[in-house]
Amino acid sequence: MIVAEGLSKRFASGFGRGRRVVDAVRGVDFQAADAAITGLLGANGAGKTTTLRMVAGLLVPDGGHVAIAGIDVARQPQAAQARLGVLSDARGLYPRLTARENIVYHGRLHGLDERAAAARADALGTTLGLGALLDRRTEGFSQGERMKTALARALVHDPSHIILDEPTNGLDVVATRALREVLRRLRDEQGKCIVLATHIMQEVERLCDHVVVVAGGRTVADGSVAALRARAGEADFEAAFVRLAYGDAAAAGETNA
Amino acid sequence: MIRAAWAVGRKEWVDALRDRRTLAVVLLSAVALGPLLLFVLSLLVADLEARAEERTLLAVGMADAPTLHNYLARQAWTVQPAPPDHEAALLRRSLGQPVLVVPPGFERDLADGLAPTLRLLSASSNPRAERAAGAVLRLLQGFGQEQATLRLALRGVPVAVLQAVQVDEQDLADPQVRAAQFTRMLPFFVLMAVLYGAMHAALDTTAGERERGSLEPLLMTPVPRGAIVLGKWGAVAGVGMAVALLACLSFLPGQWLLRSETLAAMFQFGAREAALFLALLLPLAAMLSALMMAVAIRCRSFKEAQANNTLVVLGASLLPMVTVLNPAGEQPWQLWLPALAQATLMQRVLEGQALGAADLLLPLAVAAAGTAACLAYVARQLRASALT
Repeated sequence: MIVAEGLSKRFASGFGRGRRVVDAVRGVDFQAADAAITGLLGANGAGKTTTLRMVAGLLVPDGGHVAIAGIDVARQPQAAQARLGVLSDARGLYPRLTARENIVYHGRLHGLDERAAAARADALGTTLGLGALLDRRTEGFSQGERMKTALARALVHDPSHIILDEPTNGLDVVATRALREVLRRLRDEQGKCIVLATHIMQEVERLCDHVVVVAGGRTVADGSVAALRARAGEADFEAAFVRLAYGDAAAAGETNA
Repeated sequence: MIRAAWAVGRKEWVDALRDRRTLAVVLLSAVALGPLLLFVLSLLVADLEARAEERTLLAVGMADAPTLHNYLARQAWTVQPAPPDHEAALLRRSLGQPVLVVPPGFERDLADGLAPTLRLLSASSNPRAERAAGAVLRLLQGFGQEQATLRLALRGVPVAVLQAVQVDEQDLADPQVRAAQFTRMLPFFVLMAVLYGAMHAALDTTAGERERGSLEPLLMTPVPRGAIVLGKWGAVAGVGMAVALLACLSFLPGQWLLRSETLAAMFQFGAREAALFLALLLPLAAMLSALMMAVAIRCRSFKEAQANNTLVVLGASLLPMVTVLNPAGEQPWQLWLPALAQATLMQRVLEGQALGAADLLLPLAVAAAGTAACLAYVARQLRASALT
């Protein structure tokens, strides 16, 4: 279970007259249940990535707090991070190491011993369909192969909570479907708490049990896909999202155009 | 903490070793450095020696001065006619010797006691000719003195009257110190080898990590930042130290390539010298690694980090210049500055001087403090995680 309450974050850059202040997040609340996939849905720049970074303990929030399985991230960041597997938008691999070495390295950093980490790499390789790729150096990997390796790396310590930031970015249809299948299995077979940030409606419709709509750095609505459609009074989920995120005027503009 | 630092260090070390092309260039230059430098230096010294032994004088109009020619022959010098464009050649520096111009009627004027004027052409912009001009000048003064002595002797004045004082020149510099004049550049090149050796690894583990997008996943593991920094620094310093070791050891077989016998006799680099060099270089490699990481950690790309680290390279290459340029000799404050201290002390090792424990401990302490400060800064930067 992940609970985020009243999160806010402000970024400042420059000095004196050139100083610019951006309120990236101004009040995001959500709860992600165990054995469920929660979608954080928002347009580009809505504050999804910043929110997830605060949840993962990478950024210290200016306001609000996050608890992962009851552990306060601000107070015990390392204990929280140990329960968390994160596939962030920065998913760089070490090009001179093999996929297996990349995965085992993170396993070691999560406190697994060499043999346990290697066993996990093998198991994840099978689950994610990495196969023969495991023993190849990651330079020259395709987008999909990179994503699979990065996901295996994030899951190497078998975390109870998984965070994915735009996981299907740059993936083709086959790879996207395969990823969806993996996430469903992680939810159904292992009861993981999964949070997924995305701006793709289709993904949310097909995958998420619970949706949190984020716009302008705030949570503007949440509920199941069906509930959100009903609340917006739209049969089409995309139209429902636009109405919820930007209000009636924007939704009307789209209809008229 | 230690276990995590070890895991990070081992991975970075493996990563650095797999970067074959960079590694080959770095190691090859470190290994080739000693022999190559010594070879070039010895060629230079051998050339100087050959020139010192070569006693030829370029002259114009020597046919008009048989007495002078006779004196030169008795001093075992040979006279050769100067090339027609000698003035331009001296200015171009293609001619490495001064040219003596004998005026017409020299012999007659000399016999008449008219003190004829000899012109010795050289150019102060031509160091080789300038150096050789000194020897020729002394030779001509010898001729003048002989003529004067002969004239006085003809008038019955004893020669000793003219020599109120006798000068006996003695060179106090022992052979090792003399050789050290030529080997003054060696410490500098060794320093540069260590710096460039560690640079790629230092940048790759910091700015490179950020550019690849692998820093964020790394920071989301529950490993303390201090352990990550320690592990990375261990690997980078390891590369720097390996380069230092190879560069020092390469001087041992490098001595076989010495072409100048004098330099070979004077340049003594044995196990003791190698050990002292290492004792000086290892702490410096540790500190430079930490410093370059500290400069690179804020940079968003490898390229930016390279540009910023030019400052470190500039500092580390300018500081040792003090020993080369400073004519007043070694100053106590030199041992407080990293790079300069090591260059100064390596120079002392080459000159065969003793190094006290304090001489080694002061730069070591400075390096340790510098390393700690830089690593603390890197860890703070990671904790602040300016990942926006």
